[in-house]
Amino acid sequence: MVESTTPVRWLLRLLAIGYVFMLVAWPVGLLVQHTFADGLTTLTATLTDPGVVGALRLTALVTFWAVLINLVFGVTISMLLVRYEFPGKRLLSALIDVPLSVSPVVVGLALLLAYNGRDGWFGPTLEAHGIRLVFDLPAMVMATCFVALPLVIREVVPVLTEIGDDQEQAARSLGASAPQTFWRITLPSIRWAVVYGVVLSLARAVGEFGAVKIVSGNFTGRTQTATLVVEQQYQNFQQDAAYATSFLLILVSVACLVVVALLRPGRH
Amino acid sequence: MSIDVQHITKRFGDFVALDDVSVTIPSGGLTALLGPSGGGKSTLLRVIAGLESADAGSVHIEGTDATRLAPQKRNVGFVFQHYAVFKHLTVARNVAFGLEVRKVPRAQVRQKVHELLELVHLSQFADRMPSQLSGGQRQRMALARALAVEPSVLLLDEPFGALDAKVRKELRDWLRRLHDEVHVTTVFVTHDQEEALEVADEIVVVNGGRVEQVGTPDELYDAPANDFVMGFLGEVTSLGGRVLRPHDVELETGPGRDAAREAIVTRVLRIGFETRVLAETVQGEQVTVVMTRTHARTLELVEGMTVWLSAAPGAVSVAAPTGAAGGSDERDPAVPLAV
Ligand SMILES: Nc1ncnc2c1ncn2[C@@H]1O[C@H](COP(=O)(O)OP(=O)(O)OP(=O)(O)O)[C@@H](O)[C@H]1O
Ligand SMILES: [Mg+2]
Repeated sequence: MVESTTPVRWLLRLLAIGYVFMLVAWPVGLLVQHTFADGLTTLTATLTDPGVVGALRLTALVTFWAVLINLVFGVTISMLLVRYEFPGKRLLSALIDVPLSVSPVVVGLALLLAYNGRDGWFGPTLEAHGIRLVFDLPAMVMATCFVALPLVIREVVPVLTEIGDDQEQAARSLGASAPQTFWRITLPSIRWAVVYGVVLSLARAVGEFGAVKIVSGNFTGRTQTATLVVEQQYQNFQQDAAYATSFLLILVSVACLVVVALLRPGRH
Repeated sequence: MSIDVQHITKRFGDFVALDDVSVTIPSGGLTALLGPSGGGKSTLLRVIAGLESADAGSVHIEGTDATRLAPQKRNVGFVFQHYAVFKHLTVARNVAFGLEVRKVPRAQVRQKVHELLELVHLSQFADRMPSQLSGGQRQRMALARALAVEPSVLLLDEPFGALDAKVRKELRDWLRRLHDEVHVTTVFVTHDQEEALEVADEIVVVNGGRVEQVGTPDELYDAPANDFVMGFLGEVTSLGGRVLRPHDVELETGPGRDAAREAIVTRVLRIGFETRVLAETVQGEQVTVVMTRTHARTLELVEGMTVWLSAAPGAVSVAAPTGAAGGSDERDPAVPLAV
């Protein structure tokens, strides 16, 4: 730690607080203020609007599946990356970070291209059997999984690396099978990292906009998630409703932040 | 024979960690794998346990071919150098682990855990977390955990390596007593020759991925197979092309015996009850001689004095390595020096 004089320290502190305030606290605060500008009327009106309720339900559904799939694959891929040697491991590791650097819009377009019903590998076949990927729930879940892919893995990998495989080897030598070792030893050791990764994925999934907008087709009342509804409300000059819906999304984020904050001490 | 290792070779990339190793370990004994760091002791132990698969060779445990058997099917208890305790389980649950995965009835598990904790003197710590134990207690817990599944062989990788000298000594004696009580075939790794000589019934000296010698502590000490074994088990010096122990060099102030070599005393060090004399022979050999303080006093040794050095009658010696690079290629069985 560099020793600095008191005025410098105060200046730095002021700068940091000012920056975060101007960028985050003030805008979000305004949004909350607008939501409650005329008491609870806007909020109740929004919450009783079947369009909004449907969108929230769809968001919950997409989030549930995306987080669940991401959890299973995230933990599996983490185990693979840390515990096994195989050709192409570094490539896989690099690919996992792609969602962090690629714009969600691009992700949406790519998925649309690959899985649409007219060309692509399985789109037409599945379509012929009445199963639709694109412009429906499956593609929305896929897009959300894509953007949230690194979140579980990047949490779990360092913890797995740190704990090493000593305990797993001990379990094996004591007679535990591979699944027993995973459930009884590995998973309990990484549980906080997993929970942390899930919470981050959850927040990311709830807030996803660009990728979902493209692959869902944005059909009102059918494939519109909460974020898409906010945009539509805003464009239709229903600012109040847009603010109120945004407020609900903020509540979810805050809940996630609270969970993370509560977990942090447990992460050492 | 309880463990029979035949022609085991293990490579890590280009590096040969075990080079055609064959060794048989008798039932019910306490055997030490002794050797310098990086010699392949842990690798050999891990191959026996199935935690590492060998590139060639076979492993038989209690007569069954275990070469292709998964570690959990070998009925081997393994105690790791750094304990490998299950951090999220209490001491009792750690010990119970092997029984729980075998679906042993609950009451029976409780009974067995109780007995084992008694055996390793950890009864009052049953409900603690491993992080609340000292290093020695953790190691004893790991031992109890390994014993819980009633293994046919118990493998310990530097069981006391991470502990301070005093605790090490205590645990070492305790392990010996425990072994006499439980009688399970036990193999432990150590790079401390004192530990091996004191505790083991039999010692396997491993160096550079090869077995240098197998024998009882006395056999190793009295008839080392080569200069490496001799040097690893205690201090050595060389005199007239032979390697021998410094206390086996006789120093006289006048020319007496035929084989005695003339030398000049270069240093006299008094360390506790013994005196070490460094001398250089006329042939240019540096020789260390160790004698009692009293003996040194009667000889009235001073630096620069001319003395005559010879091997004591019946002294154990081996041929000195010829080349500079370790010289372990020269295999020359120990012979008492002709005097
Ligand atoms: N997983 C591995 N990958 C590559 N090399 C390895 C691996 N494990 C061991 N080695 C190498 O094999 C050699 C023997 O290692 P081993 O752990 O058996 O030595 P050791 O005799 O137990 O030494 P120590 O007393 O330091 O524990 C060492 O040179 C080590 O670098
Ligand atoms: Mg080792």
